[in-house]
Amino acid sequence: MSEQLAGRWQRMLATMIDGVLVPTLTITLVMITGVVEDAEDFTDRWWVAHVLLLAIFSYLLLNGYLLWRYGQTIGKKALGIAIYLAEPGVNNQSQPAPIWRLVFIRALFFPLLFVGIVPWFSPIPLLDQIFIFGKKRRCLHDYVSGTVVLKKP
Amino acid sequence: MIGCAVNFFSPDPEMADNKFHFLSPLILIAMCGWAVAGEAAETCSESSRLPESNDYYSTGWGIDQRNTRYQPRSEISSENVGQLTLKWAYGLSSTTPRSYPLVTPDTIFMGDSDRGVVALDRESGCERWVHEHDGYISSAILSSKIDDRDIIIYADRFDGIYALDARSGDSIWHAAVDDETLPMYSGTPLIVGNLIFVPVASMEVTLAINPFYGCCTSSGGMAAFDVTTGEKLWYRPTIEAEATMTGRHFYFVEEYGPSGAPVWATPSYDEKRGWLFFGTGQNYTHPTTDTSDAIFALEATTGDVRWIQQYTENDSYTAACNLSLNHPNCSQPVGPDVDFGAPTMLVTTKSGRELLLAGQKSADAHAMDVQTGERVWTTNLGRGGIIGGVHWGLAANEALGLVYVPISDKAAMGFPSPGEPTPGLYALDIETGERRWAYSRESRCTDEECTFGLSAAILASNDIVVTGNIDGFLEVFHAITGELLWQHDSWRSYDTVNGVEASGGAFDAHGPMIADDLLMVTSGYRYVGAERGGNAFLVFQLEKGDE
Repeated sequence: MSEQLAGRWQRMLATMIDGVLVPTLTITLVMITGVVEDAEDFTDRWWVAHVLLLAIFSYLLLNGYLLWRYGQTIGKKALGIAIYLAEPGVNNQSQPAPIWRLVFIRALFFPLLFVGIVPWFSPIPLLDQIFIFGKKRRCLHDYVSGTVVLKKP
Repeated sequence: MIGCAVNFFSPDPEMADNKFHFLSPLILIAMCGWAVAGEAAETCSESSRLPESNDYYSTGWGIDQRNTRYQPRSEISSENVGQLTLKWAYGLSSTTPRSYPLVTPDTIFMGDSDRGVVALDRESGCERWVHEHDGYISSAILSSKIDDRDIIIYADRFDGIYALDARSGDSIWHAAVDDETLPMYSGTPLIVGNLIFVPVASMEVTLAINPFYGCCTSSGGMAAFDVTTGEKLWYRPTIEAEATMTGRHFYFVEEYGPSGAPVWATPSYDEKRGWLFFGTGQNYTHPTTDTSDAIFALEATTGDVRWIQQYTENDSYTAACNLSLNHPNCSQPVGPDVDFGAPTMLVTTKSGRELLLAGQKSADAHAMDVQTGERVWTTNLGRGGIIGGVHWGLAANEALGLVYVPISDKAAMGFPSPGEPTPGLYALDIETGERRWAYSRESRCTDEECTFGLSAAILASNDIVVTGNIDGFLEVFHAITGELLWQHDSWRSYDTVNGVEASGGAFDAHGPMIADDLLMVTSGYRYVGAERGGNAFLVFQLEKGDE
């Protein structure tokens, strides 16, 4: 199965594409909905939750269908790679990862990339990314969600 | 600690104006950890837990209600200042302490940032009581009475004003201004009789750094509250006109104006006229108003305007302008941001004339007629800048006929500061504005990374003037000659009476306090620019010779 593993550069480029698209849509929605536009929005801290919800919505809007049907985000589709279950099925065939695993376990790691700008927490996303240099090219979030990224046949 | 952490989603907007406020939950966790570490503070013995005296050494931030920043109850003079030695140091919980002590013969009341108000034994520094406060205490501590009960009052920078029992530290009431959406209580209130006057600024000045924020709708103002109940009696905005939409950016984000003209500092009170005086800051957006960078005179009992004197027109600025002058919330044309950050001061000249003095961030000192607001003189002492020029406050010695003007002239946060800086201390003739002497010295910042200048408020007493420099030196000058008499370098660590590791930093904000033979000051301030943080509250005392 090692021949089919997605390349590290492929994965990084895919992440960069998603890293541009999701925040761009989020920012657009933030502007349209005006959740941080008025003084009233800052009288409590719920604006943080509002922005976070818009970010999750943007992620699902852009990638939800692709993840459900193909185990791909837009970035991964562009680079010809996809997410599969780490444990192969019968006949050693790669199995698509279920959507719940991709959204509710795997995707939760991505806010850490945002949190990574906080100096105290920066080792966490760094640690996540360092795992990619392992033999199986799996990040920490791949291990936690039981997935692996392979080249799409 | 749990109380600290769960407060993240509380309606309190503390820290919301900070440009890194999206990090607040993490900062909160760190601060809570620090607070726990500081819980080993030394408390006074049971028999001395309650402050006994209600004889206070100041009646406001300005020591008196006129804001002269002159301390008459002092034994420290040019003759003996060389005998000042460190008596004790107290470790504060923040590296940007921003409170000013209230002193009695036996107690020093002090705001300790997010930890609370502490009542320290004046002799030993032990804690008589601690009133925990989850927020950011930013003002001087004030005294008053409800019937026969001694109370103290302070402001939380983002959450209004609080009244406590001075003996026990128990809460009495909390009040806030509801006329503005995001008021900021940066200036110390002033208590006159049964009234508390509260200066109101706005968090919008820094919220504007968010390009998706529709800047700005708020006005600065002055509010009056009842001391007994905390009930608001009147509010006077500095901009009467309602902000209306003036444009859009990014297609969706609506822009508003007029806005701004915040009140940053404590007002001064004219007992004879019953008037209140204060300065305002710049507008946040266009159209600008004739009430920004101006001095107001109000009727204290009603808030009615007596006169307004504007000194800088068309000054529009927000913190967004520090990021880029092309930032969508940096309203064009951008102004120099030369607020009146320092309080006004009422003085009487040697010839008997009453003048109102004000120092501006433009590095101008102004004198005006108290009755009319008409300008009497203006003296420029530097290039000015977004943190001064004059930043926190002047001091006066009316007997000598001199006003002392500290000049920062520090360039900050990438904002253009054209011209040559001339930081230092200047003595001006109150009557004419003529310069009598000036003092500056070489900055230590040529050898190490730091900043230099006089941003903090200063203090006069007897024949001395006390200043704290951003580069960490506490200095005492001869009030008549300008000679440097005594100096303390606070860039060191201190053994503290409460066991909290403490080090000194920049002197900024409220500045030094004197009471009898004591000189006290907080060292450390990292709120603006590259200033050095520190958490030391230092108490110096005249060393008694053998008698």
